[in-house]
Amino acid sequence: MTLKKLAVTFALGSMALVTVGATSVFAQSHVNSPDVALGTPSLESTVSHVGDLTGNAESGKRLYRRYCIGCHGPDGNGLGMNAAWIDPKPRDFTEATFKCRSTPTGTLPTDEDLFNAVTRGFVTTNMPSWRPLTPQQRADLVAFVKTWSPRWAKEKPGTPLNIPVETPITIESILHGRQLFQKLECWKCHGPQGHGDGPSANTLTDSKDNPIRPYDFSSGSRFMCGVTNQDLYRIFMTGLDGSPMPSFADVVKLDEAWDLVHFLRTLQPLKSQEADLWQTYKAAHGADIKPIGPDAAAGGQ
Amino acid sequence: MSKWFATGAVRNLGSGTHTLFTCALLILAALICDCRAVSALPASKAMAIPAFARKYGLPCSACHTAWPELNNFGQVFRDNGYQLMNDRDSPIWQNPSYFPVTFRITPNWHRESTGNQPVDSIPGGGEGSNLVSRNVTQAGFDLSGMDLWSAGTLYKNISFQLLPSSDVTAVWHFESAWVRFDNIKGTPWLNVKVGRFELDNLLSEKRFLFLSANGGFYQIYHFNVPGSINDFGFGDNQIGVELMGHSVNSYTRYSISLLSSNEGGVGLTNSVTPGGNPSSRSFDGNLAFSQAFNAGSWGLERVGAFAYIGQRPTFYQTSSGSQLVGLGNEPFYRIGFAGDFYFKNLEILPLFMHGHDSAYLGNGIASNSGPLPSTSRAPSFNGGFLEAHYYVNPQLVFIGRFEKINVGQQADTGNPGSFGNVTAYSVGYRYYPIMFSRAGLAWHNEYSISKSIGIVPLSGDGTGLPPLPLPNSQNVWSSSVFIGFDFDF
Amino acid sequence: MRTKYFLALTIAVLLGSGMLVFANPPAGSGSISGKITYTGTPPKMKPIDMSKEPSCAKQHATPVMTENVATGPGNALAWVVVYISAGDQASSGPSQAVRYDQKGCQYIPHVLPLQISQQLQIYNDDQTSHNIHPLAKVNSEWNKSQPPGSPPIDTKYDKAEFIPVKCNIHPWMHGYFVVLNTSHYAVSGEDGSFSIKGLPAGKYTVTAWQEQYGQQTQDVTISGSETKTANFTFKVLPY
Repeated sequence: MTLKKLAVTFALGSMALVTVGATSVFAQSHVNSPDVALGTPSLESTVSHVGDLTGNAESGKRLYRRYCIGCHGPDGNGLGMNAAWIDPKPRDFTEATFKCRSTPTGTLPTDEDLFNAVTRGFVTTNMPSWRPLTPQQRADLVAFVKTWSPRWAKEKPGTPLNIPVETPITIESILHGRQLFQKLECWKCHGPQGHGDGPSANTLTDSKDNPIRPYDFSSGSRFMCGVTNQDLYRIFMTGLDGSPMPSFADVVKLDEAWDLVHFLRTLQPLKSQEADLWQTYKAAHGADIKPIGPDAAAGGQ
Repeated sequence: MSKWFATGAVRNLGSGTHTLFTCALLILAALICDCRAVSALPASKAMAIPAFARKYGLPCSACHTAWPELNNFGQVFRDNGYQLMNDRDSPIWQNPSYFPVTFRITPNWHRESTGNQPVDSIPGGGEGSNLVSRNVTQAGFDLSGMDLWSAGTLYKNISFQLLPSSDVTAVWHFESAWVRFDNIKGTPWLNVKVGRFELDNLLSEKRFLFLSANGGFYQIYHFNVPGSINDFGFGDNQIGVELMGHSVNSYTRYSISLLSSNEGGVGLTNSVTPGGNPSSRSFDGNLAFSQAFNAGSWGLERVGAFAYIGQRPTFYQTSSGSQLVGLGNEPFYRIGFAGDFYFKNLEILPLFMHGHDSAYLGNGIASNSGPLPSTSRAPSFNGGFLEAHYYVNPQLVFIGRFEKINVGQQADTGNPGSFGNVTAYSVGYRYYPIMFSRAGLAWHNEYSISKSIGIVPLSGDGTGLPPLPLPNSQNVWSSSVFIGFDFDF
Repeated sequence: MRTKYFLALTIAVLLGSGMLVFANPPAGSGSISGKITYTGTPPKMKPIDMSKEPSCAKQHATPVMTENVATGPGNALAWVVVYISAGDQASSGPSQAVRYDQKGCQYIPHVLPLQISQQLQIYNDDQTSHNIHPLAKVNSEWNKSQPPGSPPIDTKYDKAEFIPVKCNIHPWMHGYFVVLNTSHYAVSGEDGSFSIKGLPAGKYTVTAWQEQYGQQTQDVTISGSETKTANFTFKVLPY
């Protein structure tokens, strides 16, 4: 190799390395590639426990920057650069208020609740299912999400709701559930047929004053917090914090709540045992069923 | 194949020290290699679509390790037929001004240098001039080809892709165009795609991170043993139908394709642009399978296997000498393994391939011309590459690749054993100053160098003319330096 | 309507002062009193349409007015919480519960000051369900349904905060829990007057808070059994 060739190769190599070094420094400091702000408490001490996995916030930070920052923002407050154009708005982690929990209203969710939320995503929103990430990666993200609010350092998560075994699906259960639907005034928001068109439906706002619609059972769409009867049970017993949906744990007995679950299934256009029983009953006793609504005799049969 | 680039010219560096130096460079740069090259071959470049980012509000880095390369989340999105399955996939949820279109082009400065090129001893080629072997070097600002890419959903579980693509001189062709029926019978294991599409390669040449003339394609994806009239490229888009399936999180994937034996050509010819040879009435098949393993905090590790079995005509039905239909199909195959391994921020992508052509195909002899000459053999080759990416953060990735191809059996026993062997290296990096859902921009820097023995490098000599014969044992080096702004909107 | 409003206000003020009596630690005989007034033109309060909830609408002969800037004669501002924000000795802790009512689809009182860890009982006196949804940011935000005939909800807050309270079913219902670090506080009545009693001698910072116009402070020094005057004036705007 001649000296000239050597020099050229060396020049090219150095040029490459210098540009690389300069840009990597630049990359770290550029305002459009923000280094994710440290949450409190410190990253080192925040871990998550999901099943056998232990997630750590340090690894979660790297993943947050790749996957989450566009919506949830570099400060974890739901003000990512895309947030202005999506509805509903991304979760503000600094408030530690979460919709889908197994714990009572006003309490922190368990690590598993957060893990399930990340894994399942939220249908009908811009939050996708992150199942393609490995479970360890999701556990790391849960640990990192917890660093955004100081509440995690001082408070323990609430005690998960003790859900009794599901009661049998019978027409009596469905009818009792229908009475509960009337008595608890679910129809005020969800509408008498669960179409999300109750009298209060179009004035609902979430806790950040953004307009929000109640769930429309007739759409048959999956719930944000799951698909099973258990998930549905949890939704109205723990409430969806941050939204208008309150907790009914203080006003519905644990067993009775299953009756309401069974009735709610009849409002959905899905194949289910509950729907079949209800159709059979309606065919036989249709005239006796009073519509749900504000009348005193409403909801009975 | 060589018409894509203005020129390729190689410094005739001594092989020994040259290799040493490039190795050193490679090792140094191996920590930070990210190359995206405008390919010398008609390979599409745009496989990152900010339109999806605009639709779903996700940053580019959610689906791409570094666009256009996909991570597993993006792979699942793609496998689902460009659907997130969140009940908000239908276009009616989008602002009416949303349209799933992306443009991609890379204005750049590049330098090509190829050795052992036939050059007139007297410039102008006048009286007394003869051809001598020289290095030819060219450099300057340039454009790349452009991709105008549209993909998305026509309806729930019906997706599409349309990719008209132009070369740097604005000659257009359809790089891909297909309709896919997704999640047939509600299962992700059944998806059917019809049209012109990329093979389901674990290591995709369309979504990789290299752009230069010598680095912007995988050598082994386009290699044929010298003498072969086979035009098959494993990285080329083909026309046919594909049955594909995947597990819910795409850890397991399979693909079975039935393709026309015409190298993705249109108009029943074997060329994408009009004027190629007529195709035969035969089919090729491609099988691909991959399985990913969860490696905890390291990430996902994926291994795959592939097999392409095809045939090409060796003579034509003619009418007064004009070709009508390809005949005399002779088989060939390409089989191999590939992997995609993540170790936190480091990604390693190895591939091995074994290729084999029939002797008629390998020597360009019509299969109806009687017994083969005694020196003819069915050629085969073995080779592959080892590629590495290091992601400093979602906006900076370093890339590097080493490639080697050895001809196992020459088509003619008279050829030297090393005739056609290829060695190639690439290093580089991509820096994305904005990681923005609206559009993408990457500053791309790459150095690639390839050596072929006895043949013009796959990146071509840039002249656009048929290459003049070289001594079979001649090393021909070709190098590229590429600095460009790769943007897509 | 005005009478009914005035009546509700008086009840509230009485309740507030009543709380004061029970909340104070026994020591100290000084007091701070004054008047809250405004300058400028306040926004007009609007009548609330309760037709979506007939069981509440019929309880009001004339529509209830919004209360975000509640004014009274002589440019008085009502529902302003005045409290000692500095200089107070730690109190021995509240012994009595405070009560919050949902009646006629209104929160009674509109603004409820209470102490940290003080027991709070929330009653639904109406024929309709309410959901009680205090929008705390420093404390926990929770949301519970309270159908008619349910027992009162028992809760407390352990951090100081101004907490807006809303009912999602009845969007016109707005109230506040003002959780304070001190046992010395008062709420101004319709005449704008307030009185904080039972203060030992010392240097105090007094803060007045109005839900729309924020806070103002004054420093007051009490020596012995005197009554010091501290008036606050808020600049208001017509919107």
